Amino acid sequence: MAFTKGSSRLWGLGLGLVMAAAVSTASTAQEVIRIGAPLPLTGPLSPEGVKQQRGYNLWAKAANAKGGITAGGKTYKVEIVYVDYESNTPRAVQSAERLITSDKVNFLFSPFGSGAAKAASSVSERYRIPTIAATASSVEVYDQGYKYLFGTFTPNDTLTNPLADIVSKSGQNVKTIAIYARNDLFPRAIAKEMEKSAKARGIEVVSFDEYAIGTMDHASALTLMLQRKPDWVFGTGYINDLILMRRQMADLGVKPKVLTMIAGPAYQEFIDATGPLAQNISSAAWWHPAVAYNGTDIFGKTADYVAAFQAEYKSVPDYAEASASAAGAILQMAIAKAGTIDPEKVRDALASLDVTTFYGPVRFGPTGQIVSLEPPAFQIQDGKAKVFYPAAVKQTDLQFGIAR
Amino acid sequence: MIYLQILVNGLVLGGLYACIAVGFSLVWGVLNVINILHGTFVVLGSYIAYFAYVRLGIHPYFSIALAGAVLFAVGYAIQAGLINRVIGAPVLTTLVLTFGLDLILNNATLVAFSADYRTVQLAHPLGSKVVGGIVLPLDRVVAMLLALALTGLLYLVLVRSRIGRAIVAVRMDAEAAALMGVNVKRVYAITFGLGALMAGAAGSLLSLIFPISPLASTEYLSLAFVVCVLGGLGSILGAMVGGLALGIIQSFGALLIGPQHGLTVSFGLLILLLIFRPTGLMGKRGYE
Repeated sequence: MAFTKGSSRLWGLGLGLVMAAAVSTASTAQEVIRIGAPLPLTGPLSPEGVKQQRGYNLWAKAANAKGGITAGGKTYKVEIVYVDYESNTPRAVQSAERLITSDKVNFLFSPFGSGAAKAASSVSERYRIPTIAATASSVEVYDQGYKYLFGTFTPNDTLTNPLADIVSKSGQNVKTIAIYARNDLFPRAIAKEMEKSAKARGIEVVSFDEYAIGTMDHASALTLMLQRKPDWVFGTGYINDLILMRRQMADLGVKPKVLTMIAGPAYQEFIDATGPLAQNISSAAWWHPAVAYNGTDIFGKTADYVAAFQAEYKSVPDYAEASASAAGAILQMAIAKAGTIDPEKVRDALASLDVTTFYGPVRFGPTGQIVSLEPPAFQIQDGKAKVFYPAAVKQTDLQFGIAR
Repeated sequence: MIYLQILVNGLVLGGLYACIAVGFSLVWGVLNVINILHGTFVVLGSYIAYFAYVRLGIHPYFSIALAGAVLFAVGYAIQAGLINRVIGAPVLTTLVLTFGLDLILNNATLVAFSADYRTVQLAHPLGSKVVGGIVLPLDRVVAMLLALALTGLLYLVLVRSRIGRAIVAVRMDAEAAALMGVNVKRVYAITFGLGALMAGAAGSLLSLIFPISPLASTEYLSLAFVVCVLGGLGSILGAMVGGLALGIIQSFGALLIGPQHGLTVSFGLLILLLIFRPTGLMGKRGYE
């Protein structure tokens, strides 16, 4: 009895295997690469989540328009599996796990920002799924000794050092800086870097203040700042914080020689929302539509990427959107180089990649963070963001003084 | 001098806080409904002001009337059509209902307007005026004064007008009011409409100050909560005192302990108040 039961089980198993093999043979004509992308599509971070999604979608569309990704003689259609984690980091981690275990994705794009990317990286590391973070810059994300995580943003000091250099050597007598940061992983980290960059160049940091997430009023901090009369104000936060901050600066008459804000001015939305007050706000980001690279990736020249983006979305791409598209383009190049979608081999291909893309030169350091980019610094002049660094793509010189 | 400037900042902010909270307080006090929709009502008011300014050139000071009227109609319809059906039920039932309605309405605003931040950029802003070393941001000050005037007007409506007396009567004893010939369900709908009207008017004024986005609704809602608990639930004076107190406490908290603790200080104080004086600063309930 027991024997019969056991053998029927074996039969069942055998039949199942045969069927599974049949199904997989039938599907070879339509091989698909599935990439999981947990994104904050609703909730406070949704503007950022939507941007990243646009970037990924543009890449997937471009790749599929050319028949898909070719590796080892096979072509694969690209399918991005999105999960909305509602701007809730613990849920981002769960989503990453679910994408890997139940949606069986081959690769992963990290959730938004350094905090969530770091949290989710432990999941993809555990399952050995190559993961690209399109919007995580903090070194702390990459120094965990992980092998499967790669990132397309350089460390934060590559943004603050050029700014501090240019301002300190301008001859405009900028001696003091007031730093005002949102108490959140990235805004705080970049503010700390600015503090170091400024001190290293002999600029005195007269104040370093933080404000809580959800702050609806900056008047007290700005009133204090007004009394200290800094030559340079460095404010960090997300777009809504910075709009409010800029308006209250005008209300209270805080008028430094240099006003730098990160990360909002890179978005056209910020320029529209602050109007004349945007004049002469400086900023830095990892990419800008004005840079010009001759890429060997699917998008080719930077200008071609910008044109493709504009044709699709009727707007100019910003660095977050470009970085998301670049994450896809880079993954595609690594798969082609590996000649397979085997995760180990793709991981090795990513680690040894040395290419130029529309986004810039791409080479990952030992921690997985990109080391080859030279992030541009720019200033809003007459309603447009214009690059003043690096010299190769410079459009203007840094202007001093701000509107009211 | 800096203390005086911080006090002015706090008062200006607090006046706006009061205006955000007063409609919420009214609905809670009279209907015993915790209206989770309130934040979204404020946001809708801001959008009405935004489009009125961008498309029709109507200054947000004047679109208060438009936003108020539209939101009154919305509020009246929601109460008469939906909330009145469960009005006698325990507070959790109405809470869940307004929570669900808020999910729908807030996501509808996200779909309609997207999460992008917009601002009303006045062609002729009033700018700032320095009086005796104190900086007065005039647009904010005028918005604050209008907010306080509106709140005062609501108070007058409640104590002087026939419908106001009916609202107060229903608040005190709905059954007795019904026996005196008051149409209680209608009074409920009007009260909820008035709450929404105040939210819309506040939203219109706030469009001059805060970036406009559907995402702001939770912040407005939690502010309304804090102000109500701080000032004492269910009275207009309570909302006014609570709003001004919160504005001043936040401003001085940020000055004395650091900007990152402005919120910590106000919420810490809130906990203390809940422990030692759970009726709020004004300590009186009702609209008598």
